[in-house]
Amino acid sequence: MNERSVVGKPLPRVDGKAKLTGRAKFTTDVVLPGMLHAKLLRSPLPHAKIRSIDTSKAEKLPGVMAVITGKDTWGIRYGFVDTPNYPAEERPIAEDKVRFIGETVAAVAAIDPDTAEDALDLIEVDYDPLPPIFDPEEAMKDGAPQIHGEITRNTSCAWEDWGVARKSHSYTPVNNVAARVLVTYGDVEKGFAEADYIREDRSRSPGTSHMAMEPHTMVASWDPFEQKLDVWMNHMAWELKRYWLHKTLDIPLPKIRIHKTYIGGAFGGKAPCFDYEVICAFLSRKLCKPIKIELTREEVFSSCRNSHRFDISIKTGVKKDGTIVAQHCNVIVDAGAYKCSAPVAMFLSHGMCDCCLDRKNVRHEGVAVYTNKNFNFARRGHGAPQMRLAADGQYDQICEDLGLDPVEFLTKNLRKKGDVIPNGDRLDSYGLPEAIKKSAEAIKWKEKRGKQRDKNRGVGIGINGMFSGSGYWPFACTAIIRLNHDGTITLIEGDCEFGQGPDTTYSQIAAEALGLTIEDVTLVSSDSELCPMNYSNFLSGGMFVGGGAVYNAAIDLREKLLKVASEVMRAKPEDIELKDKKAFLKSNPKRAYTFTEIQRYHIQKHLGDPLFGIGYKKAVPEIEFYPSLSKGTGRFTDAYGFTASTAEVEVDRETGRIRVLKIVVAEDSGYEINTAVCRGQLVSQAVQGMSDALFEEIMDDEGRVLNPNLVDYEIPRAFDVPEIEIIDCSDFEPKGPWGAKEIGECARAAVISAVVNAVYDATGVRVMRIPVTPERMFNALKAQEKK
Amino acid sequence: MKDFEYFSASSLQEACSLISQYKDVGKVLAGGQSLITLLRQKLISPTCLIDIKGLKELDFIEFDKKSGLRIGALTTHRAIEKSPLIQEKYNVLSEMEKSVASVQTRNWGTIGGNLCSADPIGDPAPSLIALGAKIKLVSAKGERAVALEEFFTDYFTTIIEPDEILAEIQLPPPAANTAVEYMKFATIEAGIKIVSTSVAVTVEAGSDVCKDAKIVMSAVAPIPLITKKAAEMLKGKKLTDDLIEEAAKMAASETDPTTDVHASAEYRKEIVKVLVKRAIKKAFEKAKKA
Amino acid sequence: MDSSKKTINVKVNGEPYEVSIKPKMTLLQLLRNELGLTGTKQACMDNSCGACTVIVNKMAVKACSVLAMQVNGKEVTTVEGLASKDGKLSILQEAFLEHSAFQCGFCSPGKLMSSTAMLEELENPTEEDIRRDMEGNLCRCTGYVQYLEAIKEVVRQRKEGSK
Repeated sequence: MNERSVVGKPLPRVDGKAKLTGRAKFTTDVVLPGMLHAKLLRSPLPHAKIRSIDTSKAEKLPGVMAVITGKDTWGIRYGFVDTPNYPAEERPIAEDKVRFIGETVAAVAAIDPDTAEDALDLIEVDYDPLPPIFDPEEAMKDGAPQIHGEITRNTSCAWEDWGVARKSHSYTPVNNVAARVLVTYGDVEKGFAEADYIREDRSRSPGTSHMAMEPHTMVASWDPFEQKLDVWMNHMAWELKRYWLHKTLDIPLPKIRIHKTYIGGAFGGKAPCFDYEVICAFLSRKLCKPIKIELTREEVFSSCRNSHRFDISIKTGVKKDGTIVAQHCNVIVDAGAYKCSAPVAMFLSHGMCDCCLDRKNVRHEGVAVYTNKNFNFARRGHGAPQMRLAADGQYDQICEDLGLDPVEFLTKNLRKKGDVIPNGDRLDSYGLPEAIKKSAEAIKWKEKRGKQRDKNRGVGIGINGMFSGSGYWPFACTAIIRLNHDGTITLIEGDCEFGQGPDTTYSQIAAEALGLTIEDVTLVSSDSELCPMNYSNFLSGGMFVGGGAVYNAAIDLREKLLKVASEVMRAKPEDIELKDKKAFLKSNPKRAYTFTEIQRYHIQKHLGDPLFGIGYKKAVPEIEFYPSLSKGTGRFTDAYGFTASTAEVEVDRETGRIRVLKIVVAEDSGYEINTAVCRGQLVSQAVQGMSDALFEEIMDDEGRVLNPNLVDYEIPRAFDVPEIEIIDCSDFEPKGPWGAKEIGECARAAVISAVVNAVYDATGVRVMRIPVTPERMFNALKAQEKK
Repeated sequence: MKDFEYFSASSLQEACSLISQYKDVGKVLAGGQSLITLLRQKLISPTCLIDIKGLKELDFIEFDKKSGLRIGALTTHRAIEKSPLIQEKYNVLSEMEKSVASVQTRNWGTIGGNLCSADPIGDPAPSLIALGAKIKLVSAKGERAVALEEFFTDYFTTIIEPDEILAEIQLPPPAANTAVEYMKFATIEAGIKIVSTSVAVTVEAGSDVCKDAKIVMSAVAPIPLITKKAAEMLKGKKLTDDLIEEAAKMAASETDPTTDVHASAEYRKEIVKVLVKRAIKKAFEKAKKA
Repeated sequence: MDSSKKTINVKVNGEPYEVSIKPKMTLLQLLRNELGLTGTKQACMDNSCGACTVIVNKMAVKACSVLAMQVNGKEVTTVEGLASKDGKLSILQEAFLEHSAFQCGFCSPGKLMSSTAMLEELENPTEEDIRRDMEGNLCRCTGYVQYLEAIKEVVRQRKEGSK
C-alpha cells in the first residue's frame, strides 16, 4: 500500500453529475402529495410580555388548516449547550414573553405559502413592551433589564442520556450572564512581571451571516398508522437533529427517519436545533399531513443563527526579543436572546488558539451575555477568528513597537512538533512552522514588508489552529462496508454532504484501502435509518472522525479478505496484495483470485459471508465524556489543523477603500485525500476571510436587523476575488485516515488577520474593528492625519 | 404576492387605452426587475398589471446626425451596453450600463422601466441627464416631451401621470470638444453604490478652458442631483487641479445625502469630493482629445 | 377552470407546454412548481443572487424576477436541458466536474446557465468579460476560483478546436 492510486488525487466529485444536471435533491425540492405549507409569525418587538394572542380570524381564512401558538408547545425546551449547569432554554414558540425581534410567536399551516402568509396578518398579538437591552456590556450592569428568569431543568437534557454523572439543575441568570469561562495555566502575574514590554488592546468582530445559499428548509411527514415521522431537512448531522426531535416531541428515536438530501451550504449555521424544525414536525403530527417550511432570506438573517459578536481585550507581555511570556484575554460574547453555543464559543476562542504558539502563562476569561437580539452559533472557526484577530493584530503591533519582524516573532514563539500542550493534547503533526515560512515567501515578505507604504501597499500575516473534531456530545462515527458479489463495495456511513465533499473523499479512502477505484464504491450516506452512528460533521471532525471510521472499516474488510484469501491461496496474508477486485501473490501476481471467488469460497466452505468491514472512531479516545467548558481542562482534540496566511493590499487613501491584491493560504491539513476538494475548501476560506475583514457585518438598530438581504449584506462576487495562492504544507497526521485531518475551518481566521495586518502595513493605521469598511478606514486615516 | 389581473398590450395604442382605463388600480409592467420584487414584498399591490414588455415599437436604438439619438423605452440595458453605435458615439452610456445590476437584470430590464422606478441610487439617470436627455411621455390624450432632469420629484416618484407611458429617450448629437465620464463608488465591485456621478465637460477647442460643465449624481439626494454651483465654478475657467478640487468640494456641499447601512451621510459627502474631482479630471482630459 | 387563470404556451428544454396559471406566477414558480423542474433554485427572492438563472431566448435571466406570463411564446432552457437526454454532459458541465467548480451545488445550476449564455454570446471572452458576466451569480462555497477556471478551460478548448 505504498503507492497510492486513489487518495491524494483531484478526482471528480461523486456528487457532481447530480449537482450539475439539476437532479440533486435538496430539501427545497421535496414535494409530497397533500403537502401543506407553514409560515411563522415573528415578534416585531425586542422584549415584551405576550398578554394574549387571538388566532380566530386567521383560523377562519379559507385554506388555513391550523394555527398554533406557544400554548400548544408550552414547556418544550432545547438548546445546543444543554448541560447540568446550563440546561436548555430555547423554545419553538415564545410562551409568555418575546426576547428578540424575529422570535416566533405563532405558526400557520395552510394549503399554500401565500395563504399561510395572508393568515399571519390576521393574527392579533397583544404585547406589553418591556425595556430591551442590546449591548452586552450594558446588559451586565446592575439594574439592566433581565432577559431570562429561572431556567428550569427540563425535558431536553440530552447529556443525561449519555451518562453524565450529575442531574441538571435549575438556575437563574444574574445580570444577564449566560455563562462564564476561566482558563488559566502557568503564573500570569509572574509572567507579566518578567516581561520587558506589555501591551493592552481591544478589538471587535461583529455578528455575521453564514449566508449558505439554500435558505433553511424542512419537510416533515407524520404517518399516523406507524406513528412515524419522515423528515427532509437542512442539517450538519442528522444524528443531532433526530435526537432533538425525539426529545422535544417525545417520538421514539427509531420512529424518526431523516432522509438524505443535499444541503445547500452550512458553514456551521445549520447544526443547532431550530424553532421551525420543531414546529414543522409538530404541525405534521397534529394534522397528519406533510408540512413544508421554507424560510425567506430575511428570516434566515433575522431569526436563524448568525456568528457571535466578540469584544476582546488582550494584554500580552513579551521579552525584548519578542518571546511571549504572559497573556491575559478577556472576551465578551454577545449571545443574543438565548445562549445556544455561546458558552462553547468563548471557550473555543481559547481552545482552538492554544495550539499555535507557546504563550507560557495564560489567563483566558470569558463571559457570554444575553441581549435582546437574535442569537448566535458557530460560523467556520467558532470563536477562533475573533480571538486570532485580537492576538495576531496585537502581535503585529508589538513587532512595530519593538522593531521586530512579525514573521520572526511568530517563528520564535512556535510550539514544537510532539509538544504536549497544557490541556494534554499532543501535537503529533504540526505544519505551522513550514506554513509560516512558505506563506511569507510566497507574498515576498522580505522584499515588501514595511517597504511599500509610499505606494499605499502593504503585506500582513495571520495564523490559526483548528480541532479535528472534539469530545462534545458522543462525537463518534461508525462505518460499514459490504463486499458485493462482483467485488465492488457498498460503503454505508452517515456524513451529510453540504459541499465539503465527504461522499467523494470517503469513497476514495475506502477504495484505496481495498485496491479498488472510486467507481467501485456505491455509497449509502446521510440517512438516519440506513446509516450507523454519525456525529462528526461539525467542529471540523468530518475527515478525522467520519473519514477515520471509514478507513477503519475498509482496513477491517481488507484484513478479512486477506485472511480468507490466505486460506484459499495457502499463502501468508502479508504475502498477498489486493488490486482490481483481486487478491494475488506479491511474488507471483498471476496467482490471483477474484474477490468474487474468495467470497464464494467462504460461503461454500463456511457459514456464510463474513466479508464486510466495520470501523468506528471517536474524536478523542482518551476522554470519557467531554472537556470542561468553564475551566478549559481536559483533552480538546486528537489532531490540529494549521494555517498561516499572508495578504497584500492596496489602500485608496482618499476614499478608504481597500483592495486585496493577493492572498496566500499555507495549510497543514494532513495528507490531502482529494487535492481539488482541499483546494476548494481553502479558496473558499480565503474569500470568506477577506470578506469578513472588509465587508461583512449584521447591522442592527434597536434589535432590528437593518441588512437582512443579499442586496444590503454584501458578499464578494466574481470580480472581487483577488489572486489566491494555496500552498500545501501538510504534515502527516499519524492518527488520521491516510494521514488526513481537518481542513474546513482553520484558514478563515488566519486570512482575516493577514488582511487586517496588511492594511496596517500599507497605511500605518490599525483598525481593530472589522469589517474595515471604506468608511472605517477613511475615518481612521483622518484621525491619523490629525495626530 | 397578491393576485392581480394581467393584460399584455400588443401595441402602444392599446397600452395607452388600457392604462387610461385602469389608471387608478393598474401599474405598467416593463422588464419588472424592480417591480416584481416590490410586488413580492407587498410594498405595492396593484390589482392589475399592463405588460408592455413585448412592444417591439418601443425597442430601438436610432441615430441621426442632426437630431441625435433615440432609445426606445423598452430597449434593454444589455442592448444599450452592447450597441456598437452607443459604444462609438455615447461611450459613457455603455460604460455606465456595465455597472447596472447584473447581466441577467440587464438582459430583461429596460431603460424606461429603470427611469420610471426612480430609484435614487439608479445609474442611468445621471448619465443621461449629463448627456442632456429628454424623454417622451405618451398617453391616449397625446404626448409630451420633458427634460429628464425635470422628471424626478422624490424617492421613487416622477411626474409621470397615471395614464402615461414613457416611450423614448432622446439625446442630442455628441457635442464637439465634450466628454462625459461616469464614476461609481461601492464597497464591493458590483455592490450598492454609495455614490455615483456623471460629469460632462466641454472645453474651448485647443485650450484648457472649460466652456461648459454638468455634474450629476446619484445616491446623495432623493432624486438625481445636479450640482449647479460646482459646475458654474468651472465654466469659462482654466481647469487647474486647485479649481477642480474646489468645485468638487462645492459639489459635496450641494448634496443632501442620508445615512444607511452602506455609508453615513458625512462619508457620502467625502466620497462626493473625491469622485467628482476624479471624474472632472478624467472628463477634462478626454474632452481635450475629443 | 379557475377564471383568474390564463393560458400560456412555452417551450422548455425543447418540449412544448401549455399551462394555465395565475398571472402572479413567476417563471421560477412555473418551472419548479408546475413543471417539476426543480434544478433551478430559489435563494434570495429579491433579484440579487442569481441561483434561479435560466436562459430565455438565448439570454440569461433571473427566473424569480420574470413573470411566467412574460415568457409566453418563448423558449426557456434550464439546467435540466444542458446535458443530452442519454446522459452526456455538456462541455461546460464536464469542465465544472473536472475543475471541482462546485461544492454544495445549490448555486451551480444558476452559474451553469449564466456561463452557458455567455459562452454562446462571446466567442472569446477575456478574464474580465468572464468575471463581469458572472457578477450576477453569488456563491458562498467556492470562492469562485475553480468555477472561473472551468469556464476559462472551455474557452481554451474552443480556441484550440477552432485552430
